[in-house]
Parts: sequence; C-alpha cells; structure tokens
Amino acid sequence: MTLADYLPIAVMLVLAAGFVAVSLIASRFFRPDRPTPEKLDPYECGIVPEVEPSQRFPVKFYLVAMLFVIFDVEIIFLFAWGAIWTELGWFGVAAVAIFTFFVLETLAYVWKRGALDWNVKRRARYIQPDVQEAA
Amino acid sequence: MILTPEVSWLAILPDLVLALGAAAVLLVEVQWHPVTRVLAWVAGGSIAIAAGITVLQWLAASDAVAAGDLGSLTAFSGMILMDGFAIFGRLALLATTALGVAAGWQFFKDLGRRGAEGLALVLLATTGFSIMVASNNLVMLFLGLEVGSIALYVLAGLTREDRKADEAAIKYFLMGSFASAIFIYGVALMYAGTRQLTILGLGDFLSGFIVSSPGVILIGIGLIVVGLGFKVSAAPFHTWAPDVYQGAPAGIVGYMAGVAKIAGFAAISRILLTAVDDFEASFLPAIAGIAVLSMLLGSVLALVQSDVRRMLAYSGVAHAGFIMTGVVGTSTDGILFYLLAYAIQLVGAFAVVAAVSGSSGSGSALSEYRGLSRRSPVLAGSLTVLLLGMAGLPLTSGFVAKFGVFADAWFNGYEWLVIVAVLASVIAFAFYLRIIVIMYMEDDESALIEVPGVVRLVLGIAVVATLVWGIIPSSLLDVVADALPL
Repeated sequence: MTLADYLPIAVMLVLAAGFVAVSLIASRFFRPDRPTPEKLDPYECGIVPEVEPSQRFPVKFYLVAMLFVIFDVEIIFLFAWGAIWTELGWFGVAAVAIFTFFVLETLAYVWKRGALDWNVKRRARYIQPDVQEAA
Repeated sequence: MILTPEVSWLAILPDLVLALGAAAVLLVEVQWHPVTRVLAWVAGGSIAIAAGITVLQWLAASDAVAAGDLGSLTAFSGMILMDGFAIFGRLALLATTALGVAAGWQFFKDLGRRGAEGLALVLLATTGFSIMVASNNLVMLFLGLEVGSIALYVLAGLTREDRKADEAAIKYFLMGSFASAIFIYGVALMYAGTRQLTILGLGDFLSGFIVSSPGVILIGIGLIVVGLGFKVSAAPFHTWAPDVYQGAPAGIVGYMAGVAKIAGFAAISRILLTAVDDFEASFLPAIAGIAVLSMLLGSVLALVQSDVRRMLAYSGVAHAGFIMTGVVGTSTDGILFYLLAYAIQLVGAFAVVAAVSGSSGSGSALSEYRGLSRRSPVLAGSLTVLLLGMAGLPLTSGFVAKFGVFADAWFNGYEWLVIVAVLASVIAFAFYLRIIVIMYMEDDESALIEVPGVVRLVLGIAVVATLVWGIIPSSLLDVVADALPL
C-alpha cells in the first residue's frame, strides 16, 4: 500500500462533504421561508407534542439497559465459542463454564437485590438496611 | 486445528480463589442477609486460602530454581509467570489486602447492606492486580490493570451521600482511564516495533537483534511509563492523587493506594528491567528525571498541606520518586522491599486517619490531630512510628528500604540522583515531624477516641513490621533476594 492507493478514498471524502455542503447552501437560498409556531416545534411523528422533552423520567430504564448490555456481550462470546466448540474441546468448555458462572452469579445477585423489579418502591425495600449489626 | 494453551491450575488458583470469594460474598449476602461479620469471614477466608496457595507456589518456584528447571516457571503457554518476583508481589498484595480490609472494617460495617459490594470490589481489585504482577503478556497485564483499576474507581465513590467522594471517584476514573489508554497505545507501538507481546519474548528479541530504527519502540516505552506513572502517582502524572486520597472513604484509601503502588511498580520494573533492558541507556535518564521531579515536588508540596490525607498523598508522590530511584538502580529486590514496607505503613497510617476522622467521611484537617497523644495514646504512638518509618529514620523499615534503592542507584552510576534523593528525604522529614509535633505538643480538650480492637490489631502488625524489618532487615531482605524476575 502506498499513499497513492488512498487517493480514491480522499476523492470520495471530498465529494461527499461537497455534496452535503452544496445541497444545504443551495436549498437555503432557493426554498421559501415562512415559519409558523407549529413548524418550529420538535417533530414527534406528526402529533402535536404534549409535554416538554426535558422532563424527568425514571432511571430504571438505565438499569435494565445496563443488564441487557451485559447479557448481550455474553451471547456474543457464546456464539463464537459455539461455532468452534468441537475444536476447542474441554479447554473451551471449562473456559466458557467459568465465564458463564460469573455472569449467572451476577444475574442471581441483581435479581435477589431487586434490580429486575420494575416497581421502584418495592425495589427500595431490598436496598434498605434491614439487618443491623450490633455495634 | 486450534492450539489450546496448556492449563496450569496452580498458577492462577490464587486469583481464581479471590474471584470466587468475591462471588461468594455477594451471593451469601443476598441469600441469607447475614451480619457483616460473616461476610468478613468469607472474604478473609478467601484471602487466607489464596495466600496459602501463593506460599505453595513460592516453595514450588524455589524447588524449580534449585533444580535449574526454569521452564516450569511459566504457565498457560507463557501467559502467566510463576517466578519469585510475581509470587512475592502477589504475597505483598494479599498482605496489604488483609490489613486493608481489617483497617477499613468500620467502613464496610457503615455501608450496611452495601458492605458486601465493598468487600467484593476489594477482592476483585486484588484479583486484577495479582494477575497484573504475574502476567508475562502485555495484553494480560493490561486486563489485570483494568480489572483492578475499575474496582478501585467504584470503591472511591462507594459512599453515595458524599459529594467529595463522588468528585474523587470521577477524577480517579477519568484520569485512570486516560492513563490506561496511553498504556495500551504504548503496548501497541511495542508490538508494531517488534511483533512481540510477551515480556520475555521482547527481552529475547531485543537482545537477539539490533534494531536499526528504534524510534517506535522508544515511543512505546515512553507511553508505557507515562500510563503506569499515572497509576503509581509519580510526578508529573500525580495530579489526581491528592483529591482522590482526600475524597475517597478513609477506611479504604490506604488499601487503594497500597495495592496500586505495588502492582504499578511491579509492572514498571518488570517491563523496563526485563523486556526492554537493552534500551536502558535511553530511558534511564528519563526515569531519573521522573524520580527527581516526584521526590522534590511531593516533599515540597506536602510541606504546605493543611489536610493530613493530602499530605499523605503528596508523600505518596515523593515515595513514588524514591521507588523510581530503585528502578534507576536496575535491581528489583530493593524495589520489592520498599513496596511491601511502604504499603504496610500506608495502610496503618490510613487506619489512624479513619479512626480519628471517621471511616466513611472525606477530609481530615491537621487540626483534628491536636493533642492526639492524650486523646488516644495508641493512635498517636503508632502513627508516630509509621510516619518515622515513611520518613526513613534508622531502625525502621523505611530506612532499610531507602538505603537499598539509593545504594542500587549509586552503584549504577547515578550518584547525583542519590544526592537529590537524600535532600528530598530531609525535606520530607519536616512534614512528618509536623504531624508528630501537633499530636504531642499541642493541647486539645476534645473527647477521647475509642480504638476498636481490629484497628489495634492492624496498627500492631504495621508497627511491628516497621520496627522488625528496620532492626533485623535480613528477615525480609533474605526473602526479596530470592524474589528474582525470570
């Protein structure tokens, strides 16, 4: 690979950036410009927005999303192992077993701690200290 | 056909036991909700089992060296090393962890139901750093570094109510991940320059071939030193340390700082002195520069602090400089002695800080230590011994440690560095003495401080270790003399 081999990519980059710039600038000059309050609203599937977008929403979505990512990544590893598990033999089985144990252990822990409980009030019950150690 | 690595369970059993211990702590907590003491027994048990296995490794490694069978010191197809250096580093980590958990006991208890998470994170951090000191492959080393560091970031912010702790955790996380990125970039450049990822492979390659244009390797070495320099808080990469030491829960800071220093310096000395030792002429002057900057900056800035924890942080920067002097001396046994002696003094000193100003809070003003000799003679007395040990007074382990690294640097031709280091030690004396003077010479009418039994035990061990290794240095020097890297 010499530097000249990258020339088509550079040309492509310039073309793409140029197309975007030209079409945006050209339409700025040729299009009619008659704004109304409705047109300036944030677009929400064509329906008039009912609430301001910057409202507070429950953070429980975040917890579920995090757990999803963990198990998603686990599946990615299992797919790779599943494709060649006969060749990897017992070494692969042991490695995947150790890995899966730690992921399942995490699942058991967060489940017991109430992280999978959608009802926030009920979840709080798990986190409140109900065991007091004698001082 | 895929070649699977040969499996040697003994090599990774300590790490596996620690990780399983972390899992067990969490599962026991959610299933039975026991009192925190039960969790401590689970955690302490896994640390003890891991330490026992590590001692077995030490014996096996000694036998192998005596029989001249150096091949059996590598495991997992050269991924893991079981040489004396790795095993001693692991023992030092486990000792620091055991003392750290005991010193931070009140902190885990105050966390209530979340105490299990704290204990599990401590065990996971030790697992990561233990892999780091034992790994031969730079990518494995990075994995261990990350497992350990990420657990420490979370530990720093474990007290959710405290804004200072949040600040400490965020700062530690941002600076730490930045440093990790720099480190892994350095590893990539080393691979680009040599097509080797293992430390032993790099050493063989660089002594077997003459590299005509070593620029990429030198930049790689530089980036690795910068990345690990962040982790051990060597100047000029120390800026996070004072805020983190001050903000993180007092009960656990000593442990965090101790294990990070042990693992970081073990990695620095293994990479610099085993893998790329053929470039010593190029990088030793830079290491000496980092050492000088750390020693002077740490000692001078510690003088003007009004918070004991910030003072200990800057003293940690200065100690990073002293240990860098040992790296310049290209001898690992002085470094190992220094690391173990210093980590134990650090855990003990922070046990005192936690007892004086609360184990989960942030900050620890110097004025809180007024008249400590009357309010709690035990705390004042042991802090005095530990601070004198850090200062390097003769008859403490700190003196033997400093003497060892200074002598190595002197005989390696860096006489000027040793002279600067001795001057920095004299400056450092001033701020250690300042705390001692405040404890003994100023009066305060505050209430007496109750010292829990477990803290007394930790302080007793730390003081005895500081004095015994200072008065009979051969008790530890003979051990580190055997702890040679492969």
